[in-house]
Amino acid sequence: MSANPKLSTWAGILLLISLPAPILIIIGASFSDTSYIQFPPEGLSLRWYRDALFDPRWPRAFAISVGIAAVTAVIVTIVSFMAAYYTQRHAPKLATWLELAIFSPLFFPHAAMGVAMVALVAQFGLIGTAPGIVLAHLIVTLPFSYRPIHIALRSLDPDLVRAANVMGASEWRALKDIVIPMCRSGILTSLLFAGIISFDEVTVTMFLIGPNISTLPVQIFSFVQDSATPVLAAISTISVLITFLAVLILDRVAGLTFFVRHDGA
Amino acid sequence: MSPAQPEALAPAAPFRAARGSIHVAGVAKAYGATTVLTGLDLTVEAGTFVTLLGPSGCGKTTLLRLIAGFIQPSAGKIAIDGRDMAGLPPQRRPIGMVFQNLALFPHFSVEENVAYGLRLRNVPETELRRKVKTFLDLVGLGHLGNRRISQLSGGQKQRVALARSLVLEPSILLLDEPLSALDLQLRKQLQVALKEIQRELGTTFVFVTHDQEEATLMSDRIVVMSAGAIQQYDTPPAIYSQPANLFVAKFVGELNEIPGRIAAVTAGTIEIDGPGGRHALPASGLRGFSPAAGASCVIGLRPERIAILPPDADAGGRIALPGTVIERIALGPVLRFILRCGEQRLVAVRLASDGAALPEAGSTCRIAFDPADAQVFEPLAAPAAASFGEKP
Amino acid sequence: MTETQPASPAKALLLLPVLVLLGLFFVSVFQLFSNGFADADGWSLRYFRQILNRSDYQVIFARTILSSLTVALLSVALSYPIALLLWRLERWRNTLLIVVLVPWLVSLVVRTYGWLVLLGPKGVINGMLAWTGIVHQPLALMFNDLGIVIGLTHVLIPFAVISILSSLLAIESNLEEASGVLGASRFQTFRRIVLPLSLPGAFTALIVIFLASIGAIVTPIVLGGMSHQFVGSQIYQEVMYTFNLNKAAAWSICLLAISFLSLLLLKAIERRLIGTLE
Repeated sequence: MSANPKLSTWAGILLLISLPAPILIIIGASFSDTSYIQFPPEGLSLRWYRDALFDPRWPRAFAISVGIAAVTAVIVTIVSFMAAYYTQRHAPKLATWLELAIFSPLFFPHAAMGVAMVALVAQFGLIGTAPGIVLAHLIVTLPFSYRPIHIALRSLDPDLVRAANVMGASEWRALKDIVIPMCRSGILTSLLFAGIISFDEVTVTMFLIGPNISTLPVQIFSFVQDSATPVLAAISTISVLITFLAVLILDRVAGLTFFVRHDGA
Repeated sequence: MSPAQPEALAPAAPFRAARGSIHVAGVAKAYGATTVLTGLDLTVEAGTFVTLLGPSGCGKTTLLRLIAGFIQPSAGKIAIDGRDMAGLPPQRRPIGMVFQNLALFPHFSVEENVAYGLRLRNVPETELRRKVKTFLDLVGLGHLGNRRISQLSGGQKQRVALARSLVLEPSILLLDEPLSALDLQLRKQLQVALKEIQRELGTTFVFVTHDQEEATLMSDRIVVMSAGAIQQYDTPPAIYSQPANLFVAKFVGELNEIPGRIAAVTAGTIEIDGPGGRHALPASGLRGFSPAAGASCVIGLRPERIAILPPDADAGGRIALPGTVIERIALGPVLRFILRCGEQRLVAVRLASDGAALPEAGSTCRIAFDPADAQVFEPLAAPAAASFGEKP
Repeated sequence: MTETQPASPAKALLLLPVLVLLGLFFVSVFQLFSNGFADADGWSLRYFRQILNRSDYQVIFARTILSSLTVALLSVALSYPIALLLWRLERWRNTLLIVVLVPWLVSLVVRTYGWLVLLGPKGVINGMLAWTGIVHQPLALMFNDLGIVIGLTHVLIPFAVISILSSLLAIESNLEEASGVLGASRFQTFRRIVLPLSLPGAFTALIVIFLASIGAIVTPIVLGGMSHQFVGSQIYQEVMYTFNLNKAAAWSICLLAISFLSLLLLKAIERRLIGTLE
């Protein structure tokens, strides 16, 4: 497959370019002037953005998605931090078991996860409510939030905490003054990563929406099935932009090589 | 990087500790079935510079951590200033600590690092500023307060770690091999600086190292440890000249070991069969064991106690054996000789200024020593600490 | 020597939130199973019998498994050149990683929608082909298995790139050079050094992508339509249109069974393959 180095390099470049291609097509289409997406494109306009903005369903779905993502990211990060901190400092023997449990949802096919979440959320009568969606998102994002925090805590020199203790810091003070600031990039990675996943989640979320609540990706999905209006392209472009910004921030705070570091669980 | 000048320090000298004693009684530590420390007893008087010296794995760091309160003893008691420390976490003990990797807070500036402990104690801002300045001056870093930790050199980091601990005026400062990562030059500078600061403040320093030279240079007293037990606790000169056993003698300073067998024991004298026949040695040279006739032993000789004479010279009442000079090495102020006496290799050290009278490599000679300079040890049990000290 | 501080029992409360979340997850799995082995009247194997016996359902199963297998193999194969490119171009790695990560993190609805725009009868590809005069009738690029495989592969490739690159980065980066210096051809180097060492990452990708693919809902529905269904499409219908949670759960349990079996199988293959390569 890589017999010829030039061939493999060119194949790599070509395939790499193809990854964002469908996204770029959508961005291009969102500025088209015609009411359906066509090739070659004719004319440029911002009318689809205007349409999206003035149809109250889209700003509403957008606001709900952002809200749910923010709440999910904050809660799941706190939960992960508490668990990772406790196991590493007080119960290292528990760590392996806890990780196994936390990572087990990753081996659940999404569709099955969706049905399981429906059953759970329905039990609490929370179908079609924001808390129901947040609950499912917490379970879905937990492994992605736990990993960066766990790595950050593990790479923290334990002597730093001991030094703070000797200088008179209680465990709580050392946590506040030393551990949390030193794990800043891991915590921010968790917040952004969980936030992005929640913001973009659709397979589980679409079972949990109701007449009064829908998220941006779920609403795009239901529109895609009915019509292919370029409004969708405009909405999608905005959602891509948000994800892109989040990735850039992630790059700044933690470096993207975090994703390909091999020291994780 | 000059160490603080005592004159300049005098008016600002923050305190003189009258406190700082440590009492360790029957302290043992075991992890499961593994025993790390076996019932230690130790009394450190206030204001001393004590070094815990031993090979890695001897338990010196464990003892330090027990005093710090990071771990609790399996048995026994530790008291600081007469107060029992049982169950007290590190933050409630009157101690400071300098860690091996220093553990400076990288997200704080130099000043913030030094101020951290004071802030925890709610020291008023003006007094806090004054103290931080006093102690940064003390370690010679008064001008670097605003630097980030990452902008400091290795030696400067050491000084910050020291200032950060001392500013809290602990009764005892624990130092866990803080110099081990530095190059030799810097290390020597800081050894002197550290000793001077300790003398200035009068704080009890408990210093952990595996470097016997460092220990000898800095300490008032040395605790030589091996296999989880204290082998000897004494002043550096006493440990060098009166080692408690062969382990201590080999670990602190260089030692020629000559195997022998005890032939007879009389009051005041022991007769030993060794190289060159039977020798009578004074019983005052016995170190830590009561020999019986027929037992094997080791005759220990410090290199500077061995004289090298021309083949026909008069030994003048000393024990003299025929030998050969294998090598003669000039090491600045001293000459180092590698000698052979029968099967036995010996190392001798003489002053370079006496060099003209000393034989060249390859020549035959007489190897002489005063019987009163010979020490007699019980051989070490099989593998214990076999690899320490240079084998003569 | 790391010692742990004696914990006061109150501190164990820090574990409570995560235990609650994990507990809820296990409750949901329990719910899934009790739903699957029941119908409206109580315990029953009715839906399993239905799912396993109906021939149209067997087609859906076969499509899901075979398509997912194709998607997994295709994703891993196509991601190798990308991963190698990123591995070799150390200076550009971070920038190029953005090109991989952004598509990975963009919602899969948006990416699937992009393929709809590309593959549709009036889509960009057909438009381009017609414009250049290569074809006169639009090609059937979607509402079939081809569309599903293209869409899913594209959606899942970034994960394979990340997984393989992680393995490659664990290799000493100068190993490839060293092997070259020793006279190995580029292909030999790849076969003897790069391939075996990147194999764990490739297998992780294979497993994860297969699992993600058999559990997909959105992409098969949008690009396969109702004529070319996946197990996920069936589950979607049962939950959203017929409100039969028991049947949806039975389908899900079948998915879980397939996942579990394929996980065991792939692990066994991985062990043997790594054994022979070493």
